[in-house]
Amino acid sequence: MIHEFFIQDFTWFFIYLIIVLSFNLAFGFTGMVNLGHMVSVGIGAYTSALLTLNGVPWYIALLAAGIIACVIGTIIAAITVRLKGDYFQIVTLGLIFIAIAVSRNWISLTRGALGLPGVPDIIRSNFYYMLFTMVLSLMALWFVYWLTNSETGKIFQAIRDDETATAILGKNTYFYKVLSLAISTFLAGIAGGLMVHQINFVDPSIFDLEQFIIILFMLIVGGLASIKGSILGVFLLFALIDLLRFLVVRPELIGPVRQMALLLILLLVLIYRPKGIFGKVDI
Amino acid sequence: MLSLWKVSKTSGVFEHTKNSLLEFFSVCKSFGGVKAVDGCTFSVGNNTITSLIGPNGAGKTTIFNIISGLTKPDYGKIKLLDSEITGLPAYKIAQAGISRTFQLTKVFRNMTIRDNLLIAKKASDGEMKSALARVHLHKPLDMAAGELSYGQQRLLEIARAVLREHKLLALDEPTAGVNPQIRQELKAILRGLKEKGNTVLLIEHDMEFVMNISDEVIVLNEGRVLKRGKPQDIVKDKEVLEAYLGK
Amino acid sequence: MPSILPQLIINGLIAGSIYALAAAGFALVYYVVKFQYFSHGAMIAAGAYFFFLFANVLGLSFAIAGILAIACTIIITLAVNYLVYLPLRKRKATSNVMLITSVVLLMFFSSLILALFGSSTKTLVLGSEGQIFDFGLFTITSLQAYIIFFAIALFFVLYLIMKKTRIGKAMRALADNKSVAQVVGINPERVYTYVFIISGAFAAVSGILVGLEQNLYPKMGVIIIIKGFISSVVGGLGSVPGSVIGGFFIGLIENVGVWYLPTGYKDLISFSVMILFLLLRPQGILGVKLRDDT
Repeated sequence: MIHEFFIQDFTWFFIYLIIVLSFNLAFGFTGMVNLGHMVSVGIGAYTSALLTLNGVPWYIALLAAGIIACVIGTIIAAITVRLKGDYFQIVTLGLIFIAIAVSRNWISLTRGALGLPGVPDIIRSNFYYMLFTMVLSLMALWFVYWLTNSETGKIFQAIRDDETATAILGKNTYFYKVLSLAISTFLAGIAGGLMVHQINFVDPSIFDLEQFIIILFMLIVGGLASIKGSILGVFLLFALIDLLRFLVVRPELIGPVRQMALLLILLLVLIYRPKGIFGKVDI
Repeated sequence: MLSLWKVSKTSGVFEHTKNSLLEFFSVCKSFGGVKAVDGCTFSVGNNTITSLIGPNGAGKTTIFNIISGLTKPDYGKIKLLDSEITGLPAYKIAQAGISRTFQLTKVFRNMTIRDNLLIAKKASDGEMKSALARVHLHKPLDMAAGELSYGQQRLLEIARAVLREHKLLALDEPTAGVNPQIRQELKAILRGLKEKGNTVLLIEHDMEFVMNISDEVIVLNEGRVLKRGKPQDIVKDKEVLEAYLGK
Repeated sequence: MPSILPQLIINGLIAGSIYALAAAGFALVYYVVKFQYFSHGAMIAAGAYFFFLFANVLGLSFAIAGILAIACTIIITLAVNYLVYLPLRKRKATSNVMLITSVVLLMFFSSLILALFGSSTKTLVLGSEGQIFDFGLFTITSLQAYIIFFAIALFFVLYLIMKKTRIGKAMRALADNKSVAQVVGINPERVYTYVFIISGAFAAVSGILVGLEQNLYPKMGVIIIIKGFISSVVGGLGSVPGSVIGGFFIGLIENVGVWYLPTGYKDLISFSVMILFLLLRPQGILGVKLRDDT
């Protein structure tokens, strides 16, 4: 029997793999620097938590997590994708703070800062839940691989490299950018649902920048527009966190030291190797 | 060859024969008060090579951007064959049959040569290779476009534009940054395209190149059409010389 | 009800001065060096904590602690420029990389402060508690009056630097056209150094004022720079005066908005205003022309 510790770790690994793959689809493959990716994850988590807490079966709740995140993501994308220059990045960064404000203050829905405890498990056994997340993340992996090698995926990448040139070749770049974000936010919402059934709890801190830094680390260190890179990025982060768990003795320092280590590595990668380990493109 | 054009200088009204492919009528565009294009009227004859020339700032690239839908004109009409394309988004104009290149090449740097061509047209490897061979670019299809030299990227861009189904090929300074040997080959390529029934609109600074291959030359100055005519007439024109030398 | 409006406006002016200070430092860097300088928030927090360290922990006098805090913040600002932003500029990193790097730096400094000072809120203890002036329609503390005064004085100094000094002229030349500025003999890196010195000083002063008005906590820099940044967008990204106006505008809107909405929605108000501006008037209040990337 595998040790409980590794079961937890692997479950997280698979959940984060879905998040990073979907992040990569928009950011690495389509060149849309969506700094609010965790907002979609959080929306998924809240959706699935609220539905299952109200007795909706988990499979409907999980699907709804993806759909709600996708609908909100698509509406936002449809409005913001046309913004020029850095403004898309800026608006998506702003979404993080809007999500925090809404989740803290819409108390009748989210219970504010108290969060939603007691979210039921999908599967009692942690081991089988790990297998379940594994199956879903393998499906996501296959899907993103297939998509990025399809004609649609090539158009995403063309938009990333040169949007004007893609339009000049007869492609409706607006449509494809919104499509990329719609797919990306759907997957993120599903991952959010999986996350909330893993920890049985969600509160506004899911939107915090600290959470975003984690997936940014995974994506950038692993490498943009590389599926191999995303797998490696998620793996490296968990390896690093487990390593730090043993190295840092004083418990109150684990949080900040872990955060600083992540940020320092991320900083060095951004300065000296912005493509990341397996990355193919500069952003 | 009969002259296709009779431009009335005063009113900007023009009569054209049924032979024109692209019509550009009284188009104006200003940027922050500066008139980049100031009531331009001209047309491009079917199956011709037409060159737009003029000093820097004459409005050539703006006209290209208007034709391809990247810039919306403030005023005027643009027609491709019988359909009006004024103000359509770039991708729709592209679908309507205008294929263009840019002064600063725009290839998809992180993608392979094959994928670059694939965005233009779902072509077979054989078709792609012959498209590349026509511009004398002999590189493996799996090579990343970003690894090509500047001149080679320009050739790839031309190959990509040619490969697309199109009615009008608009090339913005195809010879810039390309070595003299390929420059000569470009002439042959453009002539070959014309023989196959293509229509080409060029922006070009290399006068030898322009005079050698154009059927028609349109001289722009300060956003207006200064002169139009056959190359041999344009080189002798006093006004044209003044526009160039006066600067 | 309307009787509280004057108080809300005064509160808005106080918040506005703080936002405008943060926005000015951010906008100055954006205007001259041309990137989204989110790590300015980290420098604001650094200024506040340095002041806390010198004044409250080491017990130095307010003036000396203030000067030391400003000096230390400038040193850190310059160090970050040389260690992080300079290599990125040399590599001609894209605006995306610059933006992400500055957010990463912002988070890095907030974790560093968390590790050094702990998560508890710190209060800057003033010698005297300061007077409260009651004008009937509204009240204001002497400290709050100082904040507004300092902010306006600093903007005036910045204005003088930009308009009257040689280095200010060089900054404007660089902002306008880098290659032309280089042709006439301006060394961009030297001017950038001055920009970071000024922004560092601004950060320290804003940090101290924020620390006196509110409290110190590790993530204060994140919160402040977000507001400074919103102000800058609303006022006109790339315009220092615009950003200052934007700061007061956002301060007023947030505080007057509280009249209609629960306090928790303050953030929502400012973000919604920013997004509306981006969609409807991306050039901001002062109408700065949009940078064209094509």
